[in-house]
Amino acid sequence: MSRPVSRWAVVGAIVRKDLLEYGRDRLWVLLTVLVLVVVITLFWVLPAGVEGSVHLGVAGLPDPGEALGGEGLVVVPFASTDELRRVVAGEAEAWLTPAGALVRDPGASEPPPPGAERVSISLGIAFPEGFPEVSEPGRATVYVDAGVPEEMTGALAGLVREVGYRAADVPLPVQVPDGLYVVLGEDRGGEEPSAREGFRPLFVFMTLMMELFAMASLIAKEIHERTVVAVLVTPATVGDVLAAKGIAGAASGFVQAVILLAAINSLSANPGLLLCLLALGALLVAGTAMLAGSSGRDFMSTLFWGMLFMVPLLVPALAALFPGTAAAWVRLLPSYPLVRGLVEVQSSGAGWADTLPELGLLAAWAAGLFGAGWLVLRRRVRSA
Amino acid sequence: MGEPAIRVEGLRFSYGSLEALRGISFEVAPGEILGFLGPNGAGKSTTIKILTGQLAPGSGRAEVLGRAVAPDDPVLQARIGVCFEEKNLYDAMSGRENLRFFGRLFGIRDLDADGLLAKVGLAERGRDPVSKYSKGMRQRLMMARALVNTPQVLFLDEPTDGLDPVSSRAIRTLIRGEVERGAAVLLTTHDMFEADELSDRVAFINEGRIHAIDTPENLKLQHGRRAVKVRYRQSGSVTEESVPLDAPDAGERLRAAAGHPGLMTIHTEEATLESIFVEITGRALAG
Repeated sequence: MSRPVSRWAVVGAIVRKDLLEYGRDRLWVLLTVLVLVVVITLFWVLPAGVEGSVHLGVAGLPDPGEALGGEGLVVVPFASTDELRRVVAGEAEAWLTPAGALVRDPGASEPPPPGAERVSISLGIAFPEGFPEVSEPGRATVYVDAGVPEEMTGALAGLVREVGYRAADVPLPVQVPDGLYVVLGEDRGGEEPSAREGFRPLFVFMTLMMELFAMASLIAKEIHERTVVAVLVTPATVGDVLAAKGIAGAASGFVQAVILLAAINSLSANPGLLLCLLALGALLVAGTAMLAGSSGRDFMSTLFWGMLFMVPLLVPALAALFPGTAAAWVRLLPSYPLVRGLVEVQSSGAGWADTLPELGLLAAWAAGLFGAGWLVLRRRVRSA
Repeated sequence: MGEPAIRVEGLRFSYGSLEALRGISFEVAPGEILGFLGPNGAGKSTTIKILTGQLAPGSGRAEVLGRAVAPDDPVLQARIGVCFEEKNLYDAMSGRENLRFFGRLFGIRDLDADGLLAKVGLAERGRDPVSKYSKGMRQRLMMARALVNTPQVLFLDEPTDGLDPVSSRAIRTLIRGEVERGAAVLLTTHDMFEADELSDRVAFINEGRIHAIDTPENLKLQHGRRAVKVRYRQSGSVTEESVPLDAPDAGERLRAAAGHPGLMTIHTEEATLESIFVEITGRALAG
């Protein structure tokens, strides 16, 4: 007779078998590698910095840099309204020099002065002559290139009004209603995150999503082909099978997410905390995979159920691309604390104490979804 | 006789309002094969599911190796082997990997998978993925899997289904070998020849009830006719005559038939298990 077998040995054997089966499934292996390669490549192709500078041509305002300059706005002084109009209209080209804009005809043969930088001016403001000393400011003209969106034109008109009020020392009658938006991570008030930063949580989620589909598919196959019944007439219990599915699913998702973060050089900021967040996220996804796998019968139905569960979980990661645009209900989604935690740690340098609420909420969601997946899968396995 | 390997008394089970088992009772001794015969839906699979821990028993008593059966009983399940009717093997894994995986579930790290594969005639194909196996090869691998833990009780559900005659004979030899070792076998089959050849006793089950349980010989004696059928050619036509062996002139008539110049064949009119089943239950086995 065989020796008594420990629970861990049984769970370990099933985990090894699950990973072996996963490794033999060419479709999932291909998709997993493909997603990792695409995501890592995309990350490095995306711009690392923020290209937020706008060149604004200004004519008729003494020392315009002081009056209008700010974060992301490069003010280029023009000597006359006509020069400004010609440059915005594309009839002349502008070169930025320490003294202001040097305007030249497009086909000019003489070389530009040393140190001059060619600038593209698609926005311009021409203030009336004598501004702001004149007692009654006249009309300011806003020049815009045809390709500039309408919103930008409106913003420029507002800027002109602001300069007018500033010159007259009158506070701006502008109010921004708050409480309407959710800002993922620190609201950096104009310090826009780079595209890489914005996409990072989404990339992590994409790898976890692949894991969800792969694991759900294996679970559905095991139930549908009744191989699980053969396992359950051995010393393996239903609990062993479920534990093994959870471990295999969470471990493969976790490892892939770690590989991704390592490959995009994003594990350096508080790695312990990041690994903890990823482990909880992988657990959350493993629970979801159990739910999807219990519901699906074949590849297509598993894909359908996987999408049904996964799409809502993706929303916070998509919202992280556009800070400040997500509605308040996004906070109620199970993946919100994971995305928020990742953003806070990687973009704002948050530590364990700062992310404690996110960790707690994520742990609760992960436990809840894993528990739900466990119960549903147990019922499904028993009835197989 | 010692403690039975399987003991079932008054076992009942229902799927909702459908009564699958209506109080069946039987025993299987170590080293004995009990053939479980019945049509689809008779209760054979439900009985095996209960005895192997796939279903919780309803009322009554069901014991294997002196232990009351229940789902998730690793101690009991370490001592049984099951060969399913459906070919539930891991297709992406090789035959060898399948056996080794199941060996690990029984705590056997050094399983002689190649030896087991050789036993079922799959030594040459052990490294191939199961997805490339024929139906017969899968069935043989299922049989090998059931033997991984050298079980004391074997539950075999249609073990030779879909096999060619040579493979079927090899499997039957294997089953006999397990019985000689002392294993108790509960065998379900539709193949009357197999049941007759392998089983020490057979149980006829229909609509959740066991209608008869005895050795094949006893059943044949009880339900068959002791007669000999003689066929001979006479005046250009074939004549058939039945000679009851209990008749007073049986010897004289048999001698006459044997000396008949046109004698063609002499057969015993022994009942088959199938005809006895139909006689007892009023239902055909294939139904």
